[in-house]
Amino acid sequence: MDQLSIVLNEDKAAFAPRETIRGTVRWSLDVGVRHLELSLFWYTAGKGTRDMGVVETVRFDEPGAIGWKDFSFALPDGPYSFSGKLISLLWAIELTCSPGSETVRREITLSPTGREILLGTHR
Amino acid sequence: MKAKDNPFAVERIEAIRYRLFNTTFDRLLARLHELNYRAAITGPEGSGKTTLLEDLQEALEHKGIRTHLVFVNDASHFDSPACRRLLAELTRDRILLLDGADLIRRSDWSLLKRHTITHTYGLVITSHRRGLLPTLIECSTSPALLKDIVAELLPQGRTIPTEFLDRLYERHHGNLRTCLRELYDLYTQEP
Repeated sequence: MDQLSIVLNEDKAAFAPRETIRGTVRWSLDVGVRHLELSLFWYTAGKGTRDMGVVETVRFDEPGAIGWKDFSFALPDGPYSFSGKLISLLWAIELTCSPGSETVRREITLSPTGREILLGTHR
Repeated sequence: MKAKDNPFAVERIEAIRYRLFNTTFDRLLARLHELNYRAAITGPEGSGKTTLLEDLQEALEHKGIRTHLVFVNDASHFDSPACRRLLAELTRDRILLLDGADLIRRSDWSLLKRHTITHTYGLVITSHRRGLLPTLIECSTSPALLKDIVAELLPQGRTIPTEFLDRLYERHHGNLRTCLRELYDLYTQEP
């Protein structure tokens, strides 16, 4: 069975703007794939039309059936991770293989406080 | 409740695919072949026409038939220049899948219908009304379908009373999209 994984250094999942994310991707695939792609992106979830923005993508060509690679992404200034009742903005790192439908996603938080901003709350 | 946790968030609803009733995708594709790949998916608003068109695209591509999917909606405003640009993009090896054909101006529709006979492999549209092309399938909904979808979207152990869903279905005249939107709003009130 195909297996993909994303491990973040020190298992850290919350980051400040401009901080660098470091980690390792691992794969164990039944058949060789042409390439793996690792993307850092944000996306919205909730009631309205969905939106997303890809910040950076790295591609590992001819990765072989089993292997691992270290990676790093420099986070931008924003947008911050936030949640309201109508919309949430989430950040994630996703590893996909091609050809194939196997995907693994690791959600992260981008915020100066290290926690997602909650809209409509007074703190 | 945060938007990302709402069981009726758009991304969760979009993940639910069309449920064929009394037929299969193979039969639908065979019927489409019989119709020379020129057909319409009809049905009222919120009955799953767009979802079925997307699923049909996947089924066609899976069979090696190339497609070109175009969405016409209020936001995209498909005017005459946009129609002509689309016609210029069409190729004989692809089926044009056109969502929202009844929103196209009559003169543009006539042009598109004629042009696609010789410049595409086929034309499959969605439309609220019948008659634009031979009907491939007529989409419809039922209170049971709404209950089925709601059960799939709700977290395990959560339920919504059947009577409430029956009233919701009736209030929205069978439009499942607006039913699910109302349920989203209802769930925003949850802590």
